[in-house]
Amino acid sequence: MRYHTRECVEENLAEMLELWNSAWPAGATMLGLGFGFALVLLIASEKLKVWVDPKVEQVHGALPNLDCGTCGFAGCGQYAKAVLKNPELIGKCAPGGPETSQKIAGILSLQVSDSGAVQKPIVHCHAHTADKTYYAKYQGIQTCIAANALANVQACAFGCVSFGDCIRACKFGALSIVDGLATVDYDKCTGCTACSKACPRNLIEMVPFRYENMMTVACSSKETGKSTRSMCKVGCIGCGLCVKQTEQFTVEDNLARLDYEKYEATEQTETAMNKCPTKVIIYRGKTKNPQDKPGG
Amino acid sequence: MRIDTKGRFSFPGGTHPPEKKDLTREMEIQRGPAVTEVAVMLCQHIGAVCQPLVRKSEAVQAGQKIGDCDAFVSAPVHSPITGKVIEVALRSHAVLGRSLAIVVEAFPYSPTKWPSFKLKDDFDENNYSAGKICEAVRQAGIVGMGGAGFPTRVKIEPNPRLPKEILIINGCECEPYITCDYRIMLEWTDKIIAGIRLARRASGCSRVFIAIEDNKPEAIEVMNAALKTCADGEDIKVVPVRTKYPQGGERQLIKAILKKDVPTGGIPPMIGVVVLNVATVAAITEAVISDLPLAHRVVTVTGEAIARPGNYHVPIGMSVEDLIEFCGGVAKKSAKVIMGGPMMGIAVADLKTPITKTTNAITVLTKEQIGRAKFARRQTPCIRCGRCLGVCPENLNPTKIAHAVKNNLLDVAESYYISACMECGCCSYVCPANIELTGYIKTGKIFLARQKKKIPV
Repeated sequence: MRYHTRECVEENLAEMLELWNSAWPAGATMLGLGFGFALVLLIASEKLKVWVDPKVEQVHGALPNLDCGTCGFAGCGQYAKAVLKNPELIGKCAPGGPETSQKIAGILSLQVSDSGAVQKPIVHCHAHTADKTYYAKYQGIQTCIAANALANVQACAFGCVSFGDCIRACKFGALSIVDGLATVDYDKCTGCTACSKACPRNLIEMVPFRYENMMTVACSSKETGKSTRSMCKVGCIGCGLCVKQTEQFTVEDNLARLDYEKYEATEQTETAMNKCPTKVIIYRGKTKNPQDKPGG
Repeated sequence: MRIDTKGRFSFPGGTHPPEKKDLTREMEIQRGPAVTEVAVMLCQHIGAVCQPLVRKSEAVQAGQKIGDCDAFVSAPVHSPITGKVIEVALRSHAVLGRSLAIVVEAFPYSPTKWPSFKLKDDFDENNYSAGKICEAVRQAGIVGMGGAGFPTRVKIEPNPRLPKEILIINGCECEPYITCDYRIMLEWTDKIIAGIRLARRASGCSRVFIAIEDNKPEAIEVMNAALKTCADGEDIKVVPVRTKYPQGGERQLIKAILKKDVPTGGIPPMIGVVVLNVATVAAITEAVISDLPLAHRVVTVTGEAIARPGNYHVPIGMSVEDLIEFCGGVAKKSAKVIMGGPMMGIAVADLKTPITKTTNAITVLTKEQIGRAKFARRQTPCIRCGRCLGVCPENLNPTKIAHAVKNNLLDVAESYYISACMECGCCSYVCPANIELTGYIKTGKIFLARQKKKIPV
């Protein structure tokens, strides 16, 4: 057997040696290159080092990470950097609300003054399909902004046209059309203001929610009482009965408005609500039954 | 000599929708019904809204000015009937939704008077100075009666920065169904010729063209015959243009006759051209010679669902409902009432909407026609056939703009010149995928306006 002969082993050894002799310079070159590049990278990482503020990471962690863009920056990461540079931006995170502001202020070792209540949207219309008057059937493009461009898509030129532009704008699924009226689910709402920008009739207003439920005059009709009555069963007719009860209400352009900044849940507001002839003063908020008293 | 009525001039693009003018083209202009109540809109034109000059329960004369404004681009409004002002209140407006109107109720004993007018044989426009003509046009509240409603005084008044050379009288009436301008050309020919001479004198234009589509050979012949008899008829030329929609568009007409382009976003005076509608020109004659304000106009009431279609001379401010009632009411099969024609008109939701200075027709369509219309059919994805590009008279790319608007890319829509669209509806008409292109472009324009206005949050 050729295998077991001495010559054969020697021959194999010689072959291996030859292989080694021709291969080692290549290996050495590769190793040398590796060390060389590692050295370059080491020097570069030391020389071109970018110092990252650990606070950015902390602030980013404190943010809700929804990337909704309400603050005016491309996302939570961008906002975190901006807030560190300019602490005046602290209150901009609407979904996070005052809690997040407090946390960020803590990281920056700042004191924030009470930034007030959370801003949440209120739809200023209370007309469901049965309450509205229609002249004709709209068959055009099914968006609010297209429907609003055509005159008299419904009798009331101020009320909800219910084609759902606000629903498409909401990233959190907090809005829905309930029987011809845009309705906010306050459990899901983060207060990002997207819906109030989307509504072509400017029905949705951001309101500081200082109570679980806020009282509101849910109407936007600036027409005279007579024509509002003829078009809508639940519109504000501007009678001024609520103004007689408390100065928190004002009537301008045939439309009563509650001053949300001044709003206090008192006996008088309760009486005003009960006396309203068209029952357009209602509670809007987290409590499931909107007619319930506000909880704190 | 046979007059050549073949239209040789036209513009690139455009469509040929069914004309449907046979319903009313042989109907003479008749007086409309005696009205008991009119609602005169305070905003019937482009520009500043008028302020009411009368108060509630005040008596007004027929032809009395009841609303005016100091702004340069505006036109006063007049009461067409003698009566009492009931209220100054919001009324449905075809474009603006609800707008302020002066509601006048006729006195029960005074019959509705129609303005009588007869052109004198010794009429000479040189008896009137340019300033006097402009002032009379302004006081009569004349606006472009073809549809846009731009105050005519602003158009014809000499402007040292934009000198005018060419006057084009627009008698195209390219929109299907409508025949009011055609009847005016046939029946009020002398009034139009006089008006042209007055407008020419006021604006200082040297050349005048009367553009008429070649589907109205009678009108072309009548106009030519009238020009032969008048003194300086040679300077005024009747130009037959090819029958095509939207040939009556201002920019398309200038392109067809003069082979010139009005700059995008610009107005015809920038290239020295004034375009006036034939109805406007007739109104100028009435205003200058007999001080008659623009309080009546000719409206074509037409469509398959109308019992008695026709061309009616009606007071401005009467409601669509009254006029349709006078024409035999709407049939049961009727489905859609349009102010204007089917291509550019606006669907009227509230039949109480009053007629304005710019309403040239009331078209009532039947259910079958609406069923055949685009929006009732299923919209399918764009197949990139490019037909809308071929028909667009403004050389735009409607499908790109519409898709940009659909996907909320307004900057892309703007880069494709969304604002240059005049909403003629050709692209929606030819789209084989039933896409409401014009609707999306209109929506995009509103989106842009909202974005620029900076809506308060």
